[in-house]
Amino acid sequence: MGHIIENLRQFWQFTGFANFEWGYLIMILVGCLFIFLAIKYEWEPMLLVPIGFGILIGNIPLFAGLNVGVYEEGSVLNILYQGVQRGFYPPLIFLGIGAMTDFSALIANPKLLLIGAAAQFGIFGAYAISLALGFDAAQAGAIGIIGGADGPTAIFLSSRLAPTLMGAIAVSAYSYMALVPVIQPPIMRLLTTKKERLIRMKPPRPVSPTEKKLFPIIGFLLTAFIVPSGIPLLGMLFFGNLLKESGVTKRLANTASGPMVDIVTILIGVTVGASTQASQFLRWESVKIFIIGALSFVIATFAGVLFVKFFNLFLKEGNKINPLIGNAGVSAVPDAARVSNNVGLEYDPKNYLLMHAMGPNVAGVIGSAVAAGMLLGFLG
Amino acid sequence: MKHLKLFLAIVGLTLCFTAGAQSQDAMRLNEYLVVNTDDFQDDFGQQNAWFELFNSSYGTVDIAGCFLSDDPANLKKYAIPGGDVMTKIKPRQHVLFWADNQPYRGTFHVSFDLANADEIIFTKGDGKTIIDRIPVRHDLGENVSFGRVEDGIGSVEGDGAGWAVLERTSPSTNNHEIDKGAKPTRMKEIDPYGWVLALTAMSVVFLALILLYFIFKAIGNANIRAGKKRSAAASGTDVKTSAYGEVPGEVYAAIATAMHLYQQDDENHDEESFVVTLHHTDRTYSPWSSKIYTLRQTPQVNKRR
Repeated sequence: MGHIIENLRQFWQFTGFANFEWGYLIMILVGCLFIFLAIKYEWEPMLLVPIGFGILIGNIPLFAGLNVGVYEEGSVLNILYQGVQRGFYPPLIFLGIGAMTDFSALIANPKLLLIGAAAQFGIFGAYAISLALGFDAAQAGAIGIIGGADGPTAIFLSSRLAPTLMGAIAVSAYSYMALVPVIQPPIMRLLTTKKERLIRMKPPRPVSPTEKKLFPIIGFLLTAFIVPSGIPLLGMLFFGNLLKESGVTKRLANTASGPMVDIVTILIGVTVGASTQASQFLRWESVKIFIIGALSFVIATFAGVLFVKFFNLFLKEGNKINPLIGNAGVSAVPDAARVSNNVGLEYDPKNYLLMHAMGPNVAGVIGSAVAAGMLLGFLG
Repeated sequence: MKHLKLFLAIVGLTLCFTAGAQSQDAMRLNEYLVVNTDDFQDDFGQQNAWFELFNSSYGTVDIAGCFLSDDPANLKKYAIPGGDVMTKIKPRQHVLFWADNQPYRGTFHVSFDLANADEIIFTKGDGKTIIDRIPVRHDLGENVSFGRVEDGIGSVEGDGAGWAVLERTSPSTNNHEIDKGAKPTRMKEIDPYGWVLALTAMSVVFLALILLYFIFKAIGNANIRAGKKRSAAASGTDVKTSAYGEVPGEVYAAIATAMHLYQQDDENHDEESFVVTLHHTDRTYSPWSSKIYTLRQTPQVNKRR
């Protein structure tokens, strides 16, 4: 009988209840909130459900030595987490994004590329704020990339520049991407006049298959020659797009844009979520990162919309761009473009801006990858 | 279009020349050792004076054809020979020269020694433009080197700014220890508010996307012109005469049908976006051509008992 009681006492020491700390409970509640938001409001469910559940997985109280935690070398979760730590999940996601992205809107109206560039001010605005708040330059670079509104890029860069902050950065980036429909519209309304919101843009011209095939090749060569440190992201993005547009690799494109990207999304979501253990995550730094992340989205939206207004000064009547698509320069594809469209429809029910907004939206993906390459080059 | 091509050509050539011009200028004298009794040995097992060049750029630099000298009156004293792949110095890498006055021993053995030298001078391939120079100190003692505190950083005017007696010799490697945090730390020192990096990086982002804009604008224009020519050739009419107002109602009907079909079934969508095409449908299948009906059934033997 005594042995049984002793065994039960030992077993109790193994349980999560015995190792419980309040931090774990807070993180479990955060995870449940993510899952709730994803299911109830469908805010980025493909990401928030895996991340939310990952947070639950990562915050079961453990004692060291069980070899199951994400930070315990050799554990199953740790092996899966290598894709995040070593940065090979994000390029694979970019391959999938490339294979599912239609760059036609951008090719048809290439001046929209510049909006995608302007919105990257969010990254560098956040970089400057991070420095002012006492982060070192590498950490500031990793935090700044939240302003690119691109989860894989944020994970890729933070794994290189500030691995200890990666959990907070990734969760912040994905949270604000999910909140794009909440953050951006007030800023768009604030910065535009009613007349500007009613601008109707010319329908995009048809884009030939040859142009679509050339785009990934030229796009890659040009951007990679300028920023070689962005090759992992840019290379995979444009390669994926070539698979889609070449017309002869349909099976590969389907795999890249379907099962492969789904698998990697699951793995990246769960492992990033699991990496947010209370001991690593519940720090004053994380709060600062969340504040900076919100500001970076605000700056990016400001920059995108104001740039379009500035650009319009040089465009003839009839060629003007509706500034409501300026917000889409952040690379939260396609949510930011959808926001442009919805806000546009509020003022003119027949003014569909979605296809126009997809131009700066996909340009934002390229722009944020180039910006990430720059940060890696200077700070890595 | 001509202007655009000219602009792109100028930009391209400027970039090429800029890149080329930067390369040899980025080489720096980085460290030297005058009295070598117990330090690095050359390929012949001998310990001689040495000095180091450092490629401070982020591109490979070929130093073949450049000159090294210890005499300001004779800048071409030692010409670095061509045809040796080792003269191509990788980005941020070092190359070591032996100052043993025995140039026949190979590319990296120069025709002077440091014991009698007042300075080391590195000169461009034109034999006139001095890229870097440093006076030689003879008071250093045995196996003590003099070098830049940080690789490639400091004066090139021969005043020794940025140079110091090093704690240890570091032939063919960094003079200072580079830890992982060095780059960000230096960046924060140089640019405490982040504006320099922000402006630099944003300029590059804009440059990349502006170049992409120019290229695809040109390709798009060429494509539109080619399309117009094809249309004109096919119809035998001037394409300029067709306008939205002259499109017959049947076309609108076809477009509407195509849109409807597109919504119904994605397979009617062509590979290019914004274009929905009604394909002519060949109904090759009919029950009359079906294999089910035309193939004979496999004969079976009915065994009657």
